[in-house]
Amino acid sequence: MFKKGELRELFDSLFAKSWPMWIGGILLAILNILLFVIKYPWGSSSGYTNIGQNLFQLFGISNLGTSVPINLHAVALLNIFIVIGAFIASLFSREFSIKVAPVGELVKGLIGGALMAIGATVGAGCTTGGFFTGVAALSGGALALGVGFTIGTFVALRYILWEMEALPKISMGKSYIFLPGTAKKTGWQRWLGWILIAAILYLVSTYTSKGSAMKIIGWHVLFGLLLGLILQRSRFCIVRAFREPFMTGEASAPVAVIISILVGLVGFTVIKYFGVGNASELAVRAIELKAVYANFWLRALIGGFIFGLGMTVAGGCAVGTLWRAGEGHVKLWMSALGFVIMAPVSRLFIVPGVKSILPESLRKMVFLPDILGYTGAVVLVLLILLLWYVFVKWNEKTGKFSAL
Amino acid sequence: MQVDQTLDCKGLSCPMPIIKLAKTIKKMNSDEVLEMIGTDPGSKTDVPAWCEKTGNIFLEQKEEGGAFIFYIKKK
Repeated sequence: MFKKGELRELFDSLFAKSWPMWIGGILLAILNILLFVIKYPWGSSSGYTNIGQNLFQLFGISNLGTSVPINLHAVALLNIFIVIGAFIASLFSREFSIKVAPVGELVKGLIGGALMAIGATVGAGCTTGGFFTGVAALSGGALALGVGFTIGTFVALRYILWEMEALPKISMGKSYIFLPGTAKKTGWQRWLGWILIAAILYLVSTYTSKGSAMKIIGWHVLFGLLLGLILQRSRFCIVRAFREPFMTGEASAPVAVIISILVGLVGFTVIKYFGVGNASELAVRAIELKAVYANFWLRALIGGFIFGLGMTVAGGCAVGTLWRAGEGHVKLWMSALGFVIMAPVSRLFIVPGVKSILPESLRKMVFLPDILGYTGAVVLVLLILLLWYVFVKWNEKTGKFSAL
Repeated sequence: MQVDQTLDCKGLSCPMPIIKLAKTIKKMNSDEVLEMIGTDPGSKTDVPAWCEKTGNIFLEQKEEGGAFIFYIKKK
């Protein structure tokens, strides 16, 4: 007989302790492959832009680009339901509380978010859609973005360490916690989690009962929930992957990201190589070019650098901001706000300027197999991942590049 | 347990708690005990991992009213 205690054990194994980050990485890569099969692989910044455009329209400002309403924009919904999924996971694991950081930190969140918005629009991609997804999608620009993130993160980390010495008051001062899950009488928090899950499943069913375009949207709602749950439980963080080698030297975050990209690489290559989902040659080419943007190489490098500064100051990239916001970190609420406000503005006023300055040869759409063939492209990506792995592991032992 | 110094990281999110922890420990004397109070759930794994990597001794961890409290002895 199945006992109640066994269900409890299952629940606890999922929510009592956080999962190893690499497990999260594998699960996220699988969902990313499935997102590719359904419509388009995982990205985040275009969702922020859409939410921003809708917010501006709400306040009567419509010249920042007319847009699809949020409830019909797959990536915006993915973002929103990642926040809710992470919120539910933190309720279940008793890690939720509203964590209000000192004012200086909140300002850093806002500035970091705004910088990320500029970086993502200028570089045509964030850490998720541009890099994490892009490398697995064999995009040349994704590799340049990675270099930009590395430099940006390094510089911003130097700033934070300097700030701690020269302006320690920024991260000190009044902080507050509300509704902590670890306090007494918080049983309602878990119930709220279950109610939210039921509500989301109902919402998914209302989408999927309509036409085929709506079915796709409905699945994005569901995938947002799953991504949010996995992200919060595994604390999967791309900022850490870039920052930690220069900070504590710990290699678990970069290794988790490397493993995740490897899994994605296999799935994406199969989809692109065979043109999964479409028969005609024209459609196969469209599938091949998914998650490959016109940013190779300087455009991606500049955007990546600015994004790297922003994500390190904010303490979370586009997706890292979402799941930490769901967990109740008000600093990351500010980061999301900065991102949402700045993305449509940057898209309209900054990106055209950058494009007019950069010659087209420095912002090309590069699909690596066009140059190296599929075998060469995959081998190149594998070599880069291997080098990254060797570097972070060597640095973990020697601490040569680590500040702490 | 005798606590020699307390570090308040309430409200702060990654990476601030670990940077503050490293800076504070650096200025302490060997065998002194630091009490660190934080609210970032990430600290539950980050603080022990940092201690193990740096050789400082992770003594104990508890939860109180939504805050996580860590006790670390400098090596």
